[in-house]
Amino acid sequence: MFGAGAMTNSIPEIRGTDLMFVIGSNTTEAHPIIAMEMKRAKKNGAKLIVADPRRIWLADIADLYLQLKPGTDVALLSAMMHVIVTEGLHDRAFVEAHTTGFDDLVASVQTATPEWAETITEVPADDIRQAARLYASTEKAGIYYTLGITEHSHGTDNVYGLANLVLMTGHLGKEHCGMNPLRGQNNVQGANDAGASPIYYAGYQRVDDPAAQAKFEAAWETPLSPTPGMNLNVMMKHMGGLIRGLFIMGEDIVLSEPNTERVEAGMNGLDFVVVQDIFLNETTRFADVVFPAACFAEKDGVFTNSDRRVQRVRKAVDAPGEARPDWQILVQLAQAVGYPMPDYQHPSEVYSEMAQLSPKFSGISHERLEDNVGGLQWPCPDPEHPGTATMHTEGPIIGKAPFQTIAYRPSEELPDSNFPLLLSTGRTLYHYNAGTQTRRASGAIAKQPQNFIEMSRRDARKRGLDDGQLVQVSSRRGTVIAAVNISPRMKRGCVWMPLHFPEANTNRLTNDVGDPVTQTAEFKVCAVRVQPLVQAAK
Amino acid sequence: MTETPTELTLTLDGEQVHAKDGETLLDVCRRAGKEVPTLCAEDRVDPMGSCRMCLVEVEGQRRLQPSCAFKVQAGQVVQTASDKVKRHRQLLLSMYLADHELDEDDLPRERGTGNQLRQHVLDHGTGPKLPAINAPREYRMENNPYIHFDPEACVLCNLCVRYCDEVEAVSAITLAGRGAKTTIATADQKGLLDTTCEMCGGCIAVCPTGAMTEKPSLASDFREEEVVRSTCNFCGVGCQVNLHTQDNKVVRVTSPPAGETVNDGNLCIKGRFSMEFIQHEDRLTQPLVRGDDGALHTTTWENALKVAAQGLMGVKEKYGADSLGFISSSRCTGEENYLLQKLSRAAFGTNNCHQCAAT
Ligand code: SF4
Ligand code: SF4
Repeated sequence: MFGAGAMTNSIPEIRGTDLMFVIGSNTTEAHPIIAMEMKRAKKNGAKLIVADPRRIWLADIADLYLQLKPGTDVALLSAMMHVIVTEGLHDRAFVEAHTTGFDDLVASVQTATPEWAETITEVPADDIRQAARLYASTEKAGIYYTLGITEHSHGTDNVYGLANLVLMTGHLGKEHCGMNPLRGQNNVQGANDAGASPIYYAGYQRVDDPAAQAKFEAAWETPLSPTPGMNLNVMMKHMGGLIRGLFIMGEDIVLSEPNTERVEAGMNGLDFVVVQDIFLNETTRFADVVFPAACFAEKDGVFTNSDRRVQRVRKAVDAPGEARPDWQILVQLAQAVGYPMPDYQHPSEVYSEMAQLSPKFSGISHERLEDNVGGLQWPCPDPEHPGTATMHTEGPIIGKAPFQTIAYRPSEELPDSNFPLLLSTGRTLYHYNAGTQTRRASGAIAKQPQNFIEMSRRDARKRGLDDGQLVQVSSRRGTVIAAVNISPRMKRGCVWMPLHFPEANTNRLTNDVGDPVTQTAEFKVCAVRVQPLVQAAK
Repeated sequence: MTETPTELTLTLDGEQVHAKDGETLLDVCRRAGKEVPTLCAEDRVDPMGSCRMCLVEVEGQRRLQPSCAFKVQAGQVVQTASDKVKRHRQLLLSMYLADHELDEDDLPRERGTGNQLRQHVLDHGTGPKLPAINAPREYRMENNPYIHFDPEACVLCNLCVRYCDEVEAVSAITLAGRGAKTTIATADQKGLLDTTCEMCGGCIAVCPTGAMTEKPSLASDFREEEVVRSTCNFCGVGCQVNLHTQDNKVVRVTSPPAGETVNDGNLCIKGRFSMEFIQHEDRLTQPLVRGDDGALHTTTWENALKVAAQGLMGVKEKYGADSLGFISSSRCTGEENYLLQKLSRAAFGTNNCHQCAAT
């Protein structure tokens, strides 16, 4: 996008904004503290536009709620752009100074009228118009989004659509505005920053850039491959074929990747698997070696949050038994295969090695973080630099930002007579991802003891289902059992399930077709059918 | 909103101090380092002026005035420690004591992470001892795993209710009952789990007396706890947490004070309460290697590292470096992610490395 994918603005700026456009983010459940800031902004008079297929909590307090059909975001965003350019609400000066490709974009949304979008999204055309006008005409307006935008076969287009909106209205490089992906997990940002990526070394330096390669070869004293690697989704597809061995640190991929059955078959096709984790899980069933790791309370280091804020993690207790911090295990494994990884005494030494190699964070160190209790936000190029709360105040980092044209395509798998319901998936407030941590928490167990499927009253009645009744949910890929949860939040024809339950893994249902650019799988949309358990047993 | 408020001057305990229009007397007192005791004041919610602890004497006003709500005016003459103010405080503290659970020393019992009422009694003294009230109070919040409420330690400052309304915005709890029976309860006397409560624990954090406390930490004495500042390991907000430990266990999680961190003193259920996993008996404590019988067996680190190294190198030799994949975790630290890519690229020679979550 405008350089590296990260929130362009800061969490504390939310309370001073005048408009929030929240799309594909159930913020109150996934990011409760950001939601608090949004509630506070609302209380201070800010407007709130929510676009989400589920009538989420924020929708209840929204000024404008757009209940779009799952997977139709591109149509909605295109129509908003159409309204903005046809009504001349775009920021001409910004477009002129900081962007390229505006004319092509205008041409591409020519036919994307709100009326056309209504037929696809089921959002009334007038609401789309109003949303576009409000967003474009409010000076301090920020966009907030999360997995609901990216976990689609057209996730990249969704993000481009949002970026186009930000660019055409000049909502960039100013406080309280911007394009703000809210990171789902504590250190997604930090893992990206540190180079856990097939194409980037630490600090977003490309592996196929000879200068970057030479720099890292010199620092690491070994030749490096200039060929970009496979991303996770591609690796998953090639397990047992091109991929023959996996080293997995701290993730339960068998639970959390879509289309479980295929993942399991792939895992079985591997020659060798090493897992490093704090609990046994679905993935360790396939492991040849399991290393016991320390959890966050047992080690030192940093996490980087959604607004690029580097903050310290500190050891509070000892790891149980012989468990070791992941960083130590990685060094020991490298040494065991003959690579002379240095004997770092403390993660601060690792951080300073990374900072030296990465201009974006070269001003950050563990020492500086001791004095900056609120953390340091990158870019932070030198030790005197205060960090960056709002990015792009002088225009997009990479020169001019290009508009990217997008075109609506239906999701890969749509309901039909055999699988008549549209399933989306997500996370709940009480549980967290693979659930290995929260499913050991009594509060989460008391609130949400088992997997459930949310559906509208009409869909339940049509199938003769009661609230709480156990049902069998099936897709083309698998079947799981869940309890019916009749909910006024659901649109007719749409159902929703959480992703946290290993014994009834929703990912047995989900589709693993990926976005053509990122290969991010389509967790958000697939077709299912729901039957009462008894009937299905026959 | 950008206009700068006008500066004005007033007299505080005989000294000239500056203030801005719109500030409260409490703001000014705090800036001037005056010790004005409070119970119901908290920056994150609107002032309520209900605890009467912060009363000060303002010249020209017949009654003492709550400094948390009283706005500054040019030329005001204010006393924070006059005899009248002191007498008021001591009498008020006597009244609070009559309706509060006391310990062997006749001081308010300490709970959770402390009791401000106890501190006020120690700092300001009390008036005559008043007969205990012992009002029967009903409350039904018990049905939940995390929040303990003790009506005998509640001073009805209503901070928890205001926090729940104004900050968390779910209004799960409310003032209930009348007269001496007034207490904090849920609407319709339901268990907290059956309300809109999101178990954020903010009510605990703002409670000045420890009437609301963390149920899992009830047995822990906060004076014995060590506090380590860290970052929450759940979502991408990056809330700052204080991990309270005792005997090598995390016994309580609190937020650093409001105002200095991204979470501004707030936490959610995950950050504050979902810490049972740390000490869970299912934690892996020893390296495991799969044996010929197909099961995982405990082994030494030395052996596990050797088997892992041989296994991965074997794959590399047979199919090439790019037949290996390294999957990293957004749950691990930045340093660990850095080392994982270094392991993948420098030790094994492949760029097939990626973290699990793309967003
Ligand atoms: S835990 Fe949070 S939501 Fe529940 S009553 Fe307390 S403040 Fe309200
Ligand atoms: S306390 Fe809650 S909102 Fe804050 S980082 Fe942790 S999980 Fe996220």
